[in-house]
Amino acid sequence: MTWAYFDKDPLQQTYDAVVVGSGATGGWAAKQLAEAGLKVVLLEAGRAVNPKEFTEHMPGYKLKYRDHSPEIVRTRPIQKQCYACMEYNYEWFVNDLENPYSTPADKPFTWQRLRVLGGRSLVWGRQSYRLSDNDFKAASRDGYGDDWPISYAGLAPFYDIVERYVGISGAAEGNEMLPDGQFLPPMKMSCGEVLLKDRVKEQFGRTVTIGRVAIVTQNHNGRLACHYCGPCERGCSTFSYFSSPFTTVADAQKSGNCTLITNAVVSHVNMDNGQNKANGVTYVDRLTRQVKEVRGKAVILCAQAMESTRILLNSSTREYPNGLGNSSGALGRYLMDHVTGGGATGYLPDMKIRPDANEPQRPNGIYVPRFRNTPSSKKHSQFIRGYGYQGGGGAEFNFSAQGYGTSFKGAVKEGVYSIGMGAFGESLARWDNRIEIDSNLKDAWGIPALRISMTHGDNEAALMEDAAAQAAEMLEAVGAKDIKVQARVEMPGMAIHELGTARMGNDPKKSVLNAFNQTHDVKNVFVMDGASFVSSACQNPTLTMMALTVRACGHLIDRFRKSEV
Amino acid sequence: MKRRELLRAGVLTGATAALTSSLSMAQSAAQTTAQSSELTPAQRGVDASNDLSATGWKPLFLDEHQSETLIILSDLIIPATDTPGAKEALVNRYIDLLLAAEPRESQKAFLNSLGYLDGESIRRCKAAFRYLAREDQDDLLHALAFPTGNSGWTGEAAGPDVGHGHFELLKQRISMAYYSSQIGAKELGWDGAAAHGLYQGCEHSEGKHK
Repeated sequence: MTWAYFDKDPLQQTYDAVVVGSGATGGWAAKQLAEAGLKVVLLEAGRAVNPKEFTEHMPGYKLKYRDHSPEIVRTRPIQKQCYACMEYNYEWFVNDLENPYSTPADKPFTWQRLRVLGGRSLVWGRQSYRLSDNDFKAASRDGYGDDWPISYAGLAPFYDIVERYVGISGAAEGNEMLPDGQFLPPMKMSCGEVLLKDRVKEQFGRTVTIGRVAIVTQNHNGRLACHYCGPCERGCSTFSYFSSPFTTVADAQKSGNCTLITNAVVSHVNMDNGQNKANGVTYVDRLTRQVKEVRGKAVILCAQAMESTRILLNSSTREYPNGLGNSSGALGRYLMDHVTGGGATGYLPDMKIRPDANEPQRPNGIYVPRFRNTPSSKKHSQFIRGYGYQGGGGAEFNFSAQGYGTSFKGAVKEGVYSIGMGAFGESLARWDNRIEIDSNLKDAWGIPALRISMTHGDNEAALMEDAAAQAAEMLEAVGAKDIKVQARVEMPGMAIHELGTARMGNDPKKSVLNAFNQTHDVKNVFVMDGASFVSSACQNPTLTMMALTVRACGHLIDRFRKSEV
Repeated sequence: MKRRELLRAGVLTGATAALTSSLSMAQSAAQTTAQSSELTPAQRGVDASNDLSATGWKPLFLDEHQSETLIILSDLIIPATDTPGAKEALVNRYIDLLLAAEPRESQKAFLNSLGYLDGESIRRCKAAFRYLAREDQDDLLHALAFPTGNSGWTGEAAGPDVGHGHFELLKQRISMAYYSSQIGAKELGWDGAAAHGLYQGCEHSEGKHK
């Protein structure tokens, strides 16, 4: 780091790149660009995070309300719908009173998010799966929607880069729907899961594999192997799961080329008058409420799919009256979130394994890759696309045992061996599922807020019906009893896999971004997060978002080298 | 969205003073430690495990009769055996703490169920639950815990068992309060360590998963 560079007010100079958001993709953008020698300013809406505030080893009885804090109900009535928002960590999640959004009365949507350095990478589920050409070229195969402007072969090298750095533990399976990657040793399966894997392969020809997860199972890139304490979403003192503040963002800062500004709530992108070029962004200081500007030659939005699009919608100009980069009209359109709510659970009475409070806690489950509408299966008559399952099996304390008294106390400890799986299904890209600015609603910083209008459709409902029935059949095949089937369609947002609203495409009339996450309209504005997805596939999206970011940054670095920016 | 609009929105205070700082600002921005108001009590390291055993404890929500009834009921649901039961785990105090912070509907639901117990007790034994002999308390709970189901005379379904519903609500709250306590963690065999080595998973050979 050179003092000549840093001994300046960050607001008085022009950076090569302004990166908005420090989560999974913003961290990667900052790292890639800063390590390539570009001068980067990284803006985060929340505060910095300190490992001292991690609580993964604190037992629940030390919490005043043992995870039933009324404070969560009061300030986070939406965030508490997320399993990871707990009495331990709720301050990492946004305060719903300060961060409002609206929905039509008949279209509820739950928007679960964090504003803190690292964003949702602090609490994410860590499941990491590649997409395949069955996803990138899905439209060509079944006629619905649009293909991505990229292919699997084009993205595979960037998946490799991300996986090698992040550390993904998993098992190679050679499955046509779920390409293998650069894996650290897989976590182990429980007895019930091995049984399920074997039976399902024999009777259905389907794959059951251990979850591919961004947790290192051996020391990796200066991070220690997982110690199996369990609750990753409360932080990790050994940094075993991937989260950006202690990996990509730290690397960016180490390069000496990245200035991090926390508490910077970005409101809009600024344009040079007359020239079709952005010159930076305006933000509101979260604590002082002062409005500030930061200048850059390129603006890269990594703020989360809907937040990045909100910034563009709030950046209207005379040339772009409906949102910056929105000459296509597609900005804010095609919002997706994986459909959930289909699955089944049961018990394996033959398993005589008792629960053990001192068993290592595996922070991962099993995964069943998509088996519907694959190249080697028949076209399904009820729906297009498909779903994958996440689940698991193991001995549990039986808190729902019958009766009371001594026998109840004994039955709880005797336990049950449960097994189950729940589906994540593809959410079709639909024009009508959209976000727009609600002209009557502002957040606590005066920034116009979003109106979110999304429903799952008939195809998503059919996917969940089938997912429920197939889960029940597979559980029956392992001898599960008391099988409970669920075939609901959960409220959009529940998968916390929001995608789309600034889709990629080769046709500037139909898409917002080109294949390098650059807006067709304004060449130095980029969106590098889930907003760029053309279709949702059914795999957890973060790995793909990170690979797209690395690919797009590589392209941007080349353009800087050729002085094209 | 323009600067002017932000001004109008009333969030802009002294914007012109914004461009004054230098290196110190960049550093402090990056290294801002959280204000304590932005950390949860747990993130601040607050240990509340002894709060409920404070001397001079008084219920926040329940009245004395309700509180005593809850203690007796919890001791029947999860009695001391070779390990401590719900009474020693101060289950009533935790439930009272939660109730005090809960919305009216769940407060009402709890009091309804507790009241139902007294109502049944008075109907059957002419006294409130807490004043019954232990044997009579047990008889009453048994009837609520294991409803007879279909009518033996007509074969018709007896309909939803109201008493069983009240019993289950009370039992679930007591059970949750007990197993989430420090005593409850010990009851389940927890040794107090946060981590227990590598997850080994299934080590059986094919077909021997039992």
